[in-house]
Amino acid sequence: MNAIVITENILQALAAGILVGSVYGLMCVGLGLIYGVMRVINFAQGDFLMLGMYATLYLFGWLSLGQYLGPYLGPVVAALLGAVILYGFGVLLHSTLLSRVTGIRVAGTESEGHYPQLILTLGMSLIIANGGLIVFGSMPQGIRTPLSASAWEIGPLIGQDLSIFLNKARSVAFIVSVIVAILLYLFISRSRTGKTLRAAADNPEAATYMGINVDRAYRVAFALGIALTAIAGGLVATYYPFQPYVGLEFVIIMYAGVVLGGFGSIVGAFWGGLTIGLVQQLSTLILPVQLQNAAIFVVFLLIILIRPEGLFGRNAERV
Amino acid sequence: MLSIKSLTVAYGGLKALVDVTVEVAEGQFIAIVGPNGAGKTTLFKTISGIVQPVSGSVMFDGKDLLSIPPSERAHLGIAHVPEGRQVFRSLTVLENLEMGAHSMRGRADWARNLAQILELFPVLAERRDQLAGTLSGGEQQMLSIGRGLASSPRVLMLDEPSMGLAPTIADQIFERIEEIHRESKITILLVEQRVAEALEACDRGYVLESGRVVLEGVHDTLIRDERVKRAYLGM
Repeated sequence: MNAIVITENILQALAAGILVGSVYGLMCVGLGLIYGVMRVINFAQGDFLMLGMYATLYLFGWLSLGQYLGPYLGPVVAALLGAVILYGFGVLLHSTLLSRVTGIRVAGTESEGHYPQLILTLGMSLIIANGGLIVFGSMPQGIRTPLSASAWEIGPLIGQDLSIFLNKARSVAFIVSVIVAILLYLFISRSRTGKTLRAAADNPEAATYMGINVDRAYRVAFALGIALTAIAGGLVATYYPFQPYVGLEFVIIMYAGVVLGGFGSIVGAFWGGLTIGLVQQLSTLILPVQLQNAAIFVVFLLIILIRPEGLFGRNAERV
Repeated sequence: MLSIKSLTVAYGGLKALVDVTVEVAEGQFIAIVGPNGAGKTTLFKTISGIVQPVSGSVMFDGKDLLSIPPSERAHLGIAHVPEGRQVFRSLTVLENLEMGAHSMRGRADWARNLAQILELFPVLAERRDQLAGTLSGGEQQMLSIGRGLASSPRVLMLDEPSMGLAPTIADQIFERIEEIHRESKITILLVEQRVAEALEACDRGYVLESGRVVLEGVHDTLIRDERVKRAYLGM
């Protein structure tokens, strides 16, 4: 292989890594928001991602969004609408189930009530995945638009025959993920509700003394976290085939990303997800494709070995 | 305005407060003193709603406080400056104050309150964009009190504001508290282990021991009481 081909391969893998990594980043932000605010480890996050995929699939089909809005906007609008539905589902799940094992009531108890929370989210995961199997069937699905199989060519670069190809569906997913992540960041750091969430996360007891309803803050964080991951799911669905058990593949990526980013930091979660995407794509340069996920874990373990607090973790900064 | 009657609180069978009755009239400075584990903090937590009593009643302006959810109580004008300060460490100083103004009352008076708080504690103005977790203990205590004031409270409950502070800083904070009471006419409930200062400043005081009120009375009676002198004032 000559130098140009090698450079081209590396650049191509980097570009692909940034594209998929940003979408991973968005899913990690959803999971990180829930952990950062509620200190709940949500095993069902991958299954909410799966629900986001199916919501996008059906909304896209039923509302004929492809016809009205075209291949670029159609799936994005479907994913955003799906996220609204998942937000409502999150509110419902929190008020009926999760609020019983989280919040100010358990904040001071031994182990802070983590065991019931773990069992509950694990149970939700099993029910949603298997319920999905009953409702949606086991046939792999995908949201087909002309974008899935077409690409933009960047180049030829440096006056030679070196070009990078950006898959259009992934590029749209990348742009939307970055915009949504920035909007969330602004919401959390600037808005009154965002500050309330951070206060409730920082010190639930003191937040109550301020007149902040901690249960309500947790509900918003949980539903929002699910909705964000659902958007990411809807975007992934435009270029990746899925079935009801797809959550398991992604929940592993999400946890790796969130831990890399320093558990609980939202900005860190995004960078963590991006890192995972880059590692996954770059690993294909030297390893068979089947070992992509193995490569993620090798890098993950290495980083944890060197920096146990995560790449972006700081003790003072949570959320 | 705040009337606590026959309050009994237990943590899993262990009684923290037994039959405690406390009367607070508008504008008063009330001191609650006593040794560690006397139940002073529990009393405040019960008023704030973090701890549920076994029996007894807590009335605020004729309203049954116990039937009001904890997070609603701040909106009535009850500000709790908790033991150990408990500032929001990952928020900036200004954001901490904004959270203090989360209550309906605080939002309406935000600009005026902020100016007053920064005048009272100028160091907070210097540090307004710093994370609260990076402040010194004394500064955190000032922030915690400022955060309480930001809610435009009618009652300010201060739980051991001098705890863990250097004596000069503690003195400074004490002066500020007296200033707040003098100038804003806010009703103050102060829990303190620095008994001499607390009793000196108060209109009325209560001595709690092992969860019971063992002595109560107005300022003059308390500081002349032989038991108080012996046990707390070292005379």
